[in-house]
Amino acid sequence: MSKAKAYKKRLKEAARDPKISVALKRAIESYRKNVDEALKKFPHTLKLAEEVRGIKEQSIPRMEELAAQACEAIRQNKGKASIARTPGEALEIIEGIVGTGKLIVKGKSLTGEEIDLREHLEARGNEVYETDLGEYIIQQLGIKPMHLLAPAIHVPKEDVAKLLSRVTGKKIPPDIETEVATVRGILRDKFFRADIGMSGANVVAADTGTLFQIENEGNIRLSTSAPPICICLVGMEKIVPTIEDAFKVAEVTWRFAGYTVPAYVNLVSGPSKTGDIEKVITYGAHGPKEMHVIFLDAGRSKLAKDPAFQEALFCLRCGGCLYECPLFAVTAGRFGDKYFGGIGAIWTAFVTGDLTDAAPLTYSCLSCGRCKVRCPMEIDAPQMCLELRKRITQGS
Amino acid sequence: MPGRSVRKKEQRLVPEGLLLFRDNILSKGNIFGATSKARWAKGLELPAQGETIFFAGCGYQFLGEAEAILAAVRALDKRNLPWERTLGVTQFLNKRGINLGDLYGKITRRFRRAENPLLSAVEVLQGMDIDLGYLAEEEPCCAAPLYYAGFREEFAAQAEKTQALFKEKGITKLIGMVPSCTFALRSLFPRGSKGRQVEVSHFLEIVWEKIKKGKRFRLPREVIVTYHDPCILSRYLSLTEEPRQILRSIEGVVFADVERNKEEWSTCCGGGGGFEVIYPEISHTIAANRVEELLKTGASTIVTSCPGCLIQLREGVKKLKAREVEVMDMAQLLRSALPEG
Repeated sequence: MSKAKAYKKRLKEAARDPKISVALKRAIESYRKNVDEALKKFPHTLKLAEEVRGIKEQSIPRMEELAAQACEAIRQNKGKASIARTPGEALEIIEGIVGTGKLIVKGKSLTGEEIDLREHLEARGNEVYETDLGEYIIQQLGIKPMHLLAPAIHVPKEDVAKLLSRVTGKKIPPDIETEVATVRGILRDKFFRADIGMSGANVVAADTGTLFQIENEGNIRLSTSAPPICICLVGMEKIVPTIEDAFKVAEVTWRFAGYTVPAYVNLVSGPSKTGDIEKVITYGAHGPKEMHVIFLDAGRSKLAKDPAFQEALFCLRCGGCLYECPLFAVTAGRFGDKYFGGIGAIWTAFVTGDLTDAAPLTYSCLSCGRCKVRCPMEIDAPQMCLELRKRITQGS
Repeated sequence: MPGRSVRKKEQRLVPEGLLLFRDNILSKGNIFGATSKARWAKGLELPAQGETIFFAGCGYQFLGEAEAILAAVRALDKRNLPWERTLGVTQFLNKRGINLGDLYGKITRRFRRAENPLLSAVEVLQGMDIDLGYLAEEEPCCAAPLYYAGFREEFAAQAEKTQALFKEKGITKLIGMVPSCTFALRSLFPRGSKGRQVEVSHFLEIVWEKIKKGKRFRLPREVIVTYHDPCILSRYLSLTEEPRQILRSIEGVVFADVERNKEEWSTCCGGGGGFEVIYPEISHTIAANRVEELLKTGASTIVTSCPGCLIQLREGVKKLKAREVEVMDMAQLLRSALPEG
């Protein structure tokens, strides 16, 4: 079966699955309510979003330079930093640090998903735990995530109860509170026994080398601070010039993800340290002793030079567009590959695949334009999908 | 320059439904590959020239045909049967001397005037003392489907031919009916330096202008009406206030606006960018979702102003089994609200 045919089949199956449409209907309703309230409470967000668009317009053409600056800053903080040009290079660096037979706790990372990081580490004989609740469910079920921020959006509590009963060998009732407590119990000692913790980042400040990690569950702070080694894989497009810029990007990101404020924002700039004994700086206090940051290029620097498509790199991954896409509402993550929706088609064409992979996605866009209205960066994904179609017919 | 074989390979990535549209436009000058597009206007005696030309567009001219073909295609897609060939039936029959367009034309002509958006629109415009010309069989295809499918060179060539035709005929004003044609003629056509620029209006703009100047419409009985914004009219042409003002001005219309509306939040009917001929079944599901939103207003009549949306919403209503709900074009509603005599 051709890629396009297989995609079409998956898309149709998803659209026929009432679990998906019911879950999405609820999610869309609550997202719109949350984001409306968050924007009402913090009306400056719209102005801030314009400012962030300006920051992105400045940063993306300077991506190489900012990446070099961020690496240098992280090194000065006694962290290790590198730029991986391909997914293969990134995996090689990470596998070099990890080795084999390790216990790894992992925060949700789209960039990790992009290079199949967990699968590779598992294949090398490591025990890897996804610690984001939704991602944990997805991992245990052996399926693919359906949403950027809520990967298990389509799995009802009854299915989660069945899954957790199987994992624990005990009868877990389909009660959400019990389910959350059960996963907390399972993962608790993993965080503290883990050899390595992993995460991504929502935005990175080049001047200080600071990674911003936005979260609500507390699993990222545990993953990046409890184990002795911390590894963060970050897309190169996430870097902005200053820590002040990064704060702005972070605030717009969580607000458009539907939060007034998230429970946690972790700022990580290097390994843990103390100077409390004789003012001698010693690395590896309560947090990790080693901190590694890998910036992933994988087509981003090429995309940054393409005027028709570079806007795709402005994406903050707030997920807002997906809630406005009429196709996503009935198919969820099946409208996408590693990245979803119309914007996902562009990322597929330039970053995670090629024109052949992107063709079925770009021809799935209704070009209705509502995603652009929602997008805090006003990314014109439908127009880019049409541009992509043009390139497809021209074979270039 | 890529070789011919490379281009061929790349074009396999284009969905078959869109390739058929392309072939039809390039060979027959309409998306369905029919030999006649003007049968609906038989007996109207519209002049074939004039300063103001009524641009009917494929979507309305082949409304009956499109509705029937899509219904067939959807039925096949739901059974997971290959349906792409059905779209090609037009060509298949054409080769054997049977013209589907003619066949459907006969059915369409049986439609009562009130049920035909084009006949209604002409009657409404003439009722507002507008002298209309209609190019009939000579009406060029706006070629927008070529643009949306990615065939930009072919689109540009068609646009150039069309502009030359307008110039040759001395046309200065066009009244577009199909949102997509109107947008293509107004915004996608290159702003050439050659010759006069043609002023392109949409039907709704013309009607609203006349209402502002005092034209009145009145329905024989009160109806609760909601309005569906076609994406091209709302987000691409920013035509959202005009239809609402028109509806509010019609005596007998109780206008109940839908929550998801206008440039910002109106929901697509599921027929955007050729989607309905790429994913017929999913497109139907999206249509039903939109109808669900629209019916939350309590309206018994859904009005829109796009042939694509019209078909989609009607199919959506059928899917939801909302039998008491009527979907109609703004032109139809206006015609039924024309003063008698």
